[in-house]
Amino acid sequence: MRINVKLIANYQSLLPAGTIGNTIELEAPAGISVLQVLTPFGVPLDDTSVIVLNGLTVDLNTPVSEGDTVAAFSAIAGG
Amino acid sequence: MNGWHGRLLRINLTTQTTSIETIDPQVCRDFIGGRGVAMWYISKEVDPQVDPLSPDNKLVFAAGPLTATPAPTGNRYMVVTKSPLTGALAHSNSGGEFPTWMKRTGFDLFIFEGRAEGPVYVWVDEDRVEVRAAAHVWGKDTHETTDILKAETSDEARVACIGPAGENLALMAAIMNDKHRAAARSGVGAVMGSKNLKAVVAMGNKNPDLHDPTAMRDVSVDTSKNVGADVKKGSNMRIYGTSYVPQVTNTLGIFPTNNFQQGTFEHTKNIDGDALKNQYLIRHTPCYRCPLSCGRLTEVPDGKYKGKGEGPEYETISSLGSGCGVHDLAALVKANYLCNEYGMDTIGTGMTIAAAMEMYEKGYIPESVIGQPLKFGDHDAMIDMIKKMAHREGFGNDLAMGSYRLCEKYGHPEIAVTTRKQEFPGYDPRGSQGMGLLYATSNKGASHMEGDVAYEEVFGVPVKENPLSTDGKAELVKHFEDAFALIDSSGLCVFVAIRYVFSKDRLIFPQRLSEMMNFTTGAGYTPEEIMKAAERVYNIERLFVLKAGSTEDTLPYRMLHEPLPDGPAKGKVVELDKMLPEFYQLRGWDEKGWPTKEKLEELGLTM
Ligand code: SF4
Repeated sequence: MRINVKLIANYQSLLPAGTIGNTIELEAPAGISVLQVLTPFGVPLDDTSVIVLNGLTVDLNTPVSEGDTVAAFSAIAGG
Repeated sequence: MNGWHGRLLRINLTTQTTSIETIDPQVCRDFIGGRGVAMWYISKEVDPQVDPLSPDNKLVFAAGPLTATPAPTGNRYMVVTKSPLTGALAHSNSGGEFPTWMKRTGFDLFIFEGRAEGPVYVWVDEDRVEVRAAAHVWGKDTHETTDILKAETSDEARVACIGPAGENLALMAAIMNDKHRAAARSGVGAVMGSKNLKAVVAMGNKNPDLHDPTAMRDVSVDTSKNVGADVKKGSNMRIYGTSYVPQVTNTLGIFPTNNFQQGTFEHTKNIDGDALKNQYLIRHTPCYRCPLSCGRLTEVPDGKYKGKGEGPEYETISSLGSGCGVHDLAALVKANYLCNEYGMDTIGTGMTIAAAMEMYEKGYIPESVIGQPLKFGDHDAMIDMIKKMAHREGFGNDLAMGSYRLCEKYGHPEIAVTTRKQEFPGYDPRGSQGMGLLYATSNKGASHMEGDVAYEEVFGVPVKENPLSTDGKAELVKHFEDAFALIDSSGLCVFVAIRYVFSKDRLIFPQRLSEMMNFTTGAGYTPEEIMKAAERVYNIERLFVLKAGSTEDTLPYRMLHEPLPDGPAKGKVVELDKMLPEFYQLRGWDEKGWPTKEKLEELGLTM
């Protein structure tokens, strides 16, 4: 299935070299979890990151479905 | 005294006389400093029912006990007064250099009262204070004014001033310092304008004495090291400043778009941090003694939006950008420069124009009244409106009243996205419920700076909360409101304070900040005592607001009755009823939101 991975601001550098913008589409096996999607990118999987599925707060073991977007950004004060 | 100078400068503009007074050490301890001590004076000396633009209102500039100490980001001051926009309380924060220079004059507070007969500025060089004529800078923008007044006082001095917007009593007028930094919200610049006070120029060598300089140095160095470690890892705040936030809020569906008609903006990538960094960034710029350095010097090098200045920050991008449907970055950057030069709050300015755009598109305000079309996304029309607002020309005279009064005048109050008549900042609370409770209850009207629970709901700092849930939000909002009262009163910047001097555990929340306060002042606060003092500040403000007649804690129609049509929070409204009663209970307020007798006794506020 096709899913999207969006790595925001300084996490963009974790996307493959040459990626334009902050989002890539990739092929992933059915049943893959949010955690498993992000692991290969080297996104810190602790409380220094905010991770959302389709913009929603979820458990990191939640399975990802076709067309979903997993997004992550560094947890740091701002605004 | 240590930390606090324990002295204030009172300037009566009517009589052009000045006096120096001591501040009771117990008041400093009980109300922390800065915002808290300023509020103590306001509640003692200003009738809550006073006309905010009359000579009877007072304008207080207040530095905190940590201002001008080695504490990283100890560079803030607060402007406290009765607000002409909200009819309630204004307390607006700014950094840069002026606040440190102000504290070094040897005063914690400047209190301005009365009204000068003609334009004046006040020049404070330690105890040498002069009220000088300012007719030659009246009408000039904040940049020219700053240059001229430095040239005729001292190049070593720093300037806080108003621009044409403040002179013309526009209700979104800011007080600008060091040209680019703003005590922006609630119309504080209009109060300054109503007093014919164009500028305050300050300089001195009186750093506050420290109770334990060695311990203070150690804790400050350690805090700076922690900030430095994050900067080295690639902190977004250093790389982008707050301009990285549009990508975050757009992803969560809470990026105010077209006057909060939507929560996602299809052109976000045109106005986000990367676009700004790649096209116009020159370098980052810090406030005084800030290891994070989130400000940015930018330049549009050519074309019709040519200009140079600082920013825009996130709140400007969400109000003058997505809020107005604008996605031409050069025009947005120019609009930000103009607001700084005219001395205007970008949130109030942008969201008032956004409300006018919605009314124009819906046919509620005809083109003949505005004098031109005013559609969402029309960046040139937006820039025209900014100029007209600052100078109160034509339709700009209506806009200068802010969105609440504008929408009411044209018969559609439901279009105004305000609480206590103040425009919302850049987090749609339908997708961040805690922010909804904050906006509804905030003493100063809608403001993230009143207790920014977006730190947890959006940014995961110090811990992540689900923004769509109402669970636990009453407690979260109370904690953040008190924490912000503490930070604002201490003289630190929230960006560094929340991340680096608060703990993740709310029970021991302000441990490091208490240490800094104790090493500086010797007051011997426990974390519990200092949070109690912050709660005291919040409640004395609350009393003033209620006595001013601003008694309703609610949200505008759109937030309660129009579900978000798009994005992750689609279908949501703010479930205020689920949070408000619990919030009142936690605050020790009755069911109408008034502090109970018991709470006031507990806080020592039964004066
Ligand atoms: S974090 Fe930014 S706003 Fe705060 S003191 Fe530093 S430079 Fe100024």
